[in-house]
Amino acid sequence: MLEFLRDSFSESRTMYSGHNEALVELGDENSDVLILYADFAQGQAGPYYRKKYPERIINIGIAEANLMTVAAGLAEGGKIPFTHCHSIFAIGRAYNQIRQIAFDKYNVNIILCNTGMFWDFMGASHQVIEEIAALRALPNLVLLSPSDAVEAKKASKAAAYFDGPVAIRLAEPETPIIYNDDYPFEIGKATLLKEGKDVTIAVTGILMSKVLQAAKILEREKIDVQVLNFHTIKPLDTETIKNSARETGAIVTVEDSSVIGGLGGSITEILSENYPIPIHRIGVRDVFGQTGNMEELATEYNMNITDIIKAAKKVIKKKRK
Amino acid sequence: MIVGLTNFETHFTEVIKVSHDPELIKELEGKAKLLRKHTIEIIRYAGKGWIGGSFSEAEIFTALLFHHMRIDPKKPDWPERDRLILSKAHCCEMHYAALGEAGYFPKKYFSTYGKFGGILQAHSQRTVPGVDYSGGSLGTGLSFAVGEAIAAKLFSQKTSDGTTVPRNRVYCIIGDGECDGGQIWEAALSAGHYKLSNITTIIDRNKYQSTGAVDSIIEIEPLSEKWRSFLWNVIEVDGHDLGQILDGLEEAKKLTNKPSIIIANTVKGKGVPSFENKVHFSPLTDEMYDEAMKALT
Repeated sequence: MLEFLRDSFSESRTMYSGHNEALVELGDENSDVLILYADFAQGQAGPYYRKKYPERIINIGIAEANLMTVAAGLAEGGKIPFTHCHSIFAIGRAYNQIRQIAFDKYNVNIILCNTGMFWDFMGASHQVIEEIAALRALPNLVLLSPSDAVEAKKASKAAAYFDGPVAIRLAEPETPIIYNDDYPFEIGKATLLKEGKDVTIAVTGILMSKVLQAAKILEREKIDVQVLNFHTIKPLDTETIKNSARETGAIVTVEDSSVIGGLGGSITEILSENYPIPIHRIGVRDVFGQTGNMEELATEYNMNITDIIKAAKKVIKKKRK
Repeated sequence: MIVGLTNFETHFTEVIKVSHDPELIKELEGKAKLLRKHTIEIIRYAGKGWIGGSFSEAEIFTALLFHHMRIDPKKPDWPERDRLILSKAHCCEMHYAALGEAGYFPKKYFSTYGKFGGILQAHSQRTVPGVDYSGGSLGTGLSFAVGEAIAAKLFSQKTSDGTTVPRNRVYCIIGDGECDGGQIWEAALSAGHYKLSNITTIIDRNKYQSTGAVDSIIEIEPLSEKWRSFLWNVIEVDGHDLGQILDGLEEAKKLTNKPSIIIANTVKGKGVPSFENKVHFSPLTDEMYDEAMKALT
């Protein structure tokens, strides 16, 4: 394991808490940073701004379309807005407005709250499976998908100073802290989390800790797993994918979203054009979700540790001899 | 008792008539006529266009760009400039005509309209100097104006007499048919709530949309009461009377506690009798071109 990874996954936090730490720091270091939200709980940054910078936190109400276009106007006016709403409604109710932001490359940071399949309790109407596919089809838009609170904080800080629109996926459940604070994060550059030569597991988002646990179990069975963190889904680090495919000859992709057009879809597109090898995509397979905690849902939809182990063994078997 | 309904009249602002210099009005009327001529030339290059909705805007653009707004065509990205958002951005031909005439870009660009690789695209787009907002998705421009207006207030500046004023004002032209869409009303609510007095919205009330008369498709009256109930200051003018438009713009600028909307009662296709109340999006035949040129000379 590399040195920026924690030895144990004993501490758990939400990604949103890491994002909020970033907002508090950004609030102090840049007077142009604004919090916009669609009647949505803001975390610890909310009270902090309300006390210190009351004019820099703006509630737009339950109106996601207005939220996105107001943010575009603020960005044109010279501000750095962070919009906050449930991802399902950002995509479902304000996609056209996000598209306009992408078209004119406004410096709007779109926080996709409660992203993916794992929104404990809320069920199918609120679990978003189509967001990666929808957003990665938009030119100019950067799409980030951190895997713990530390990475979420780094993603939000990087987004504030990135010139152009950035969307950041933040899942709802508390998830183990994976990284130490010295973890290097660079937009557009996949991070190698574990060296290995038998199979690559390419991951984005909240399932990362499950993948690292699966990799440990496979290690005991003498299967040497390479783990890559695709925290940037767009622009995709295609060089790293191609190099990894050449090194291991087999790939499993893992995401908390639909495999259709998701990270699995993206990597399959790149490799089928450049270096076709056996691939298995773990993710939501063309179904809507339901209420359930992360463990229950991961098991039901074949996204749990045992599924990752099985998939790794399957693609290794299919490798060209 | 329904709270609020009785208060409509107290929200109403009587426009104080100013006697404008007749020379100024005459000059601006000449400008509006010239913009219609440019517009028909622009449309002729594409062979088709939004003739009716462009012609109804002529006096609105004239009043804003040739008298009222704080702008500098040589500095289209000047942060302190007033912003102009054409939310009904399909009626871009008049927008382009006005910007070209104002000197934002050479008038030879007119010939690129509707052409592959052309600078002037079929909906107002920010790549054109002077265009502050890329439209095309109806109902969104007013939300953009709300964002711009909040930014301008956050960048407020102290004047010599010690008061603070927003860095700039924001003007937004919307259509009456566009009021069918929900986002207009989301934006209206938020502008009223945040008392964005640096927004002046002008509604080009030309009474027709793509498939017919606005009020036969989706009734939007009583329009004034709707906006008043959203906490806006409402001013009604004849949208082809430059004196009245200038009065309305000045009146709106005086307020400090609420956004204003000028309901500009206009005629679709105004300026060429055979176009009036008839033409929305249309091919421009040679016959129509000749008629327009005759009427505008």
